[in-house]
Amino acid sequence: MKRVLPAFWLVVFFTVPLWLQDQYILHVLITTGIFIIAAMSLNLLLGYTGQLSLGHVAFFGIGAYASALTTLGFDVELGGFRVVHEPWPAIIGFFVGIVIAGMSGYLIGRLSFKVRGAYFVIVTISFAEVTRLVALNWVELTQGPLALTNIPPFTLGFPGLGTYTLWSKTAYYYLVGVVGLVTYLVISRLVGSYIGRAMIALKENESLASSVGIDVTRYLVLAAVVSAAIAGAAGSLYAHYLKIIDPDIFLFIYTVTMVIMVITGGKGTLAGPIVGGIIFGFVPVIVRPFAAPAVQWILYGGLMILIVFVLPQGIVPAVERWLANWTQSKGKLAGVILAGNSKPGAGK
Amino acid sequence: MRQYATRMALATIILAAGLITGAGAQETIKIGVIQPLTGAFAASGNYVANGAKIAADEINAKGGVLGKKLELVIEDNKSNPTEAATVAEKLIVRDKVPVMMGAWGSGFTLAIMPKLMEYKVPMLVETSSAGKITTSGNPYIFRISPPSSVEAVAFAKIIDKLKIGKADFLVVNNDWGRGAADDFGKMFKEHNIKVGLVETMDPPAQDMSAQLAKIKASDADTLIITTAVEQLTLIFKQAAALGLKKRIITTGGSQNPDQLIEQAGAAANDTTHITFFTPWNPNVSADPAMAKAFIEEWKKRGHPFAGLTESFRGYDGIRTIAAAITKAGKAEPEAIRAAFWQVEIPGMNGPIKFNKAGPAGQESGQSNPGIYLIKIENGKVVLPSA
Amino acid sequence: MSLRGDPEAQFHTILQMARAGCIDARDEQVDQFFQHLVNAVVLGGTYALLGIGLTLIFGIMRVVNFTHGELYAFGAYIVYLVGATLGLNFFLGLVVAVIAGVLLGALIEITLLRPMRSADIDTVMLVMIGAWIVMQNTELLIWGGVAKAIVTPFPDAPLVIGPVSISWLRLFVLIVALLLIIGSYVLIHRTKLGKAMRATFQDTDTAALMGVHIKGIHTATFAIGSGLAAAAGALLGPVFLVTPTMGDLASLKAFAIVILGGLGNITGATIGGFILALVEEIGAGYISSGYRDAMGFLIIIVVMLFKPSGLFARAERVG
Repeated sequence: MKRVLPAFWLVVFFTVPLWLQDQYILHVLITTGIFIIAAMSLNLLLGYTGQLSLGHVAFFGIGAYASALTTLGFDVELGGFRVVHEPWPAIIGFFVGIVIAGMSGYLIGRLSFKVRGAYFVIVTISFAEVTRLVALNWVELTQGPLALTNIPPFTLGFPGLGTYTLWSKTAYYYLVGVVGLVTYLVISRLVGSYIGRAMIALKENESLASSVGIDVTRYLVLAAVVSAAIAGAAGSLYAHYLKIIDPDIFLFIYTVTMVIMVITGGKGTLAGPIVGGIIFGFVPVIVRPFAAPAVQWILYGGLMILIVFVLPQGIVPAVERWLANWTQSKGKLAGVILAGNSKPGAGK
Repeated sequence: MRQYATRMALATIILAAGLITGAGAQETIKIGVIQPLTGAFAASGNYVANGAKIAADEINAKGGVLGKKLELVIEDNKSNPTEAATVAEKLIVRDKVPVMMGAWGSGFTLAIMPKLMEYKVPMLVETSSAGKITTSGNPYIFRISPPSSVEAVAFAKIIDKLKIGKADFLVVNNDWGRGAADDFGKMFKEHNIKVGLVETMDPPAQDMSAQLAKIKASDADTLIITTAVEQLTLIFKQAAALGLKKRIITTGGSQNPDQLIEQAGAAANDTTHITFFTPWNPNVSADPAMAKAFIEEWKKRGHPFAGLTESFRGYDGIRTIAAAITKAGKAEPEAIRAAFWQVEIPGMNGPIKFNKAGPAGQESGQSNPGIYLIKIENGKVVLPSA
Repeated sequence: MSLRGDPEAQFHTILQMARAGCIDARDEQVDQFFQHLVNAVVLGGTYALLGIGLTLIFGIMRVVNFTHGELYAFGAYIVYLVGATLGLNFFLGLVVAVIAGVLLGALIEITLLRPMRSADIDTVMLVMIGAWIVMQNTELLIWGGVAKAIVTPFPDAPLVIGPVSISWLRLFVLIVALLLIIGSYVLIHRTKLGKAMRATFQDTDTAALMGVHIKGIHTATFAIGSGLAAAAGALLGPVFLVTPTMGDLASLKAFAIVILGGLGNITGATIGGFILALVEEIGAGYISSGYRDAMGFLIIIVVMLFKPSGLFARAERVG
């Protein structure tokens, strides 16, 4: 049963563009998907390692800008030297985005993990704000508030088959889907491995973990790098899909969106960010025809508070618990399987 | 199973929402309007949107266009370029508008332009002034507001009278502000006027005292400011608080002098402004009767008088679009686009007729309005002897 | 041509000579510096209020308070409401704003934070973010997105002291801010409530054992902190403009000040507020005006690198 359900959803998911006529809904699915990938990466830091990173959008934005600038080319003056870069294919931009985002993850990891808890929160917020202001003011490189426009779409080259340029929404839908799937697999593998268990040990009790020889900083930095790299990938997808990126991508509200997705879905669970993402990706769309933007946001905020009050662990664990109770009360063996945790290492 | 049921229900709701909002086609011609209704430029955006509504209502009262009523689908770009591109897409894909008007700020308009090329839908630009908009080779752009280069050229005609020796710039940090600094700076150099400092400020910035302190200490005799009314109010107040005594000239057409007088008080006195419409004296306008009627209707709807200096663009814009649709004979994007080139109607500040601008074969349309120089003295707007 | 007795001509001549490099024009630079200094001091006072309020909340309750900026905006909107809409006295508006801020803070604490006391820090953070979204959009709904100006009874012409100008309004703001800072200090260090708050900050469990009513202290702390934020907003609202998003940057700057000054350290927060304002002014004036708001955040990052517990805290256990 456990294997059938996810497979079923995968099939449904991959056939969506075939029966969904509304291009706008497809657009929402794509942007939601991109944010879900970013949320999954945040979950690695927030949920599994227990670090309150509120600057996550910085990695997302860095990935987006790095990818866009790689594919658009630039011409800037750095300390007296002219640095000129010719445009490269978008697919290379994607990987450049990942690498540069990962590198900034390393930087932040090494710098920030000297502090913990609330201080860490503030440092990460500051980092995102500084990045935003740099993007806004370094006009020569980033075009500042004018935004980087006309970002070319991805072009996939198949030797012998020619090239295929991703223009249509359907193509992007599948691309995002594939990247999302890969992300999910990478994270679940990481979390299931001994690295993942070390991270969770850190979250549960840092001093204890440290005393049994777990190198705290090393694992935190590793989590930061992976998390940032994935966020960078999501950012690159975003840039090439929207074909425009402006410094407002670094706004705190986007971090908040990702945090909401993770925490309401269920931090520290694999499905959490996905569920949270679907809900908070679609609530605005559903509410939009009926209410003014300000009212929508009030509902959004209220819904958030409500979910946190009623289901503080998030939706996915609550549903799992409910399922466990339900199937156990029916006395089925399947219930035990279904109720099996997606939190490795949580039990003894 | 509950997880499954929840997700199924969710999917159904989404589908239903999609279907419901997709259906409901009526006999109207939709025009998409994209403006900053919230954010740093909310005041201006709302004025333009309200001006547009007056035009639509007026046209509908006379029977509409091609026998159908005009329906304005107004969207908020939240003073943000990415949001502008997103709502443009929504208007084109979801609401299936054949033509749009927008998006106030140059950055927002530039962000939408790729979408116009992608979906082949024309857009009338009513306020944005960046040169790039009409020189990028986008045949779907038709602009009735002057780029800052045209503004600078028009200003050059009266510049000798003002006797400016050296000018500093204080501009908003976006394409509009920077473009103005570039174009006016070039024009100044051609007239042997020296250019001093070029200071910038973020669109939502509220504290310009650092920039003003620098400017106060400079040796220029004039300060040219390009930004919208909210920041202008703050700048005037802060400049007065610093005791800044230079001559101040503002550009860009989004000054809303009456709002300035109301909110900045005495700090707004002795400032000069380049505007595109003079509601204080409609007789000076290109079509006085039309101007008076518009002003009357605006007042009747209870909108602030200060908004007239911007709302006329929304008014002119919708009228231009309606004329194009009529000429085209059908509410289809390509036909409307071709029809724009044939439009020739009177606007608030001059005749509206599109000239070719930009690279050959892919020209955009640019109309060239007149400008007016006004001054604020003793809490009132004063027109120089035209 | 004789320049004697003609001050204007003298001035112009001096100016010309200075431009030609004949006279040292450094006086202008010094003037500019002092002007920046004065601007910084005025701003610093209100920043300090923001910082003190947050450091109390953050320090005693360990809550990442995202509504702090919203209380700041709320204070400004109340002054607008009292002054522009109800047409009453400006000073009355200030008083009402502070009181309203205190009450709203208490309300938020009782309805949202108290039930969450046992939850972990990120869950509480999420609730605060939700509250922030609701508050800001309620303001947007009620007053709209267009910026509002608050009219004050102060004269427009500034007070000029030598080369430096300061408007009467800003002087007033500085004086009131200083009074409130002193008041906070007195509250924390000289009253029973303050003592209880300090005890709770140092060791909640022991304080509880000693008979301190922790729940009440939390409510009082949040209320006072929020009241200070509202005061800052009420004072700065008339100086600038009132917009629904004015609180966002204020929140983040408040966090910067708390980091600078050390958690729970109101002297630190006060000094931190002035330092931030100074760095902003000098940075904006001499380096780049666009990066003005980045200064605060750069401070945070630098301080975190070298002295994570803040410039003024004694070695406190991190985390």
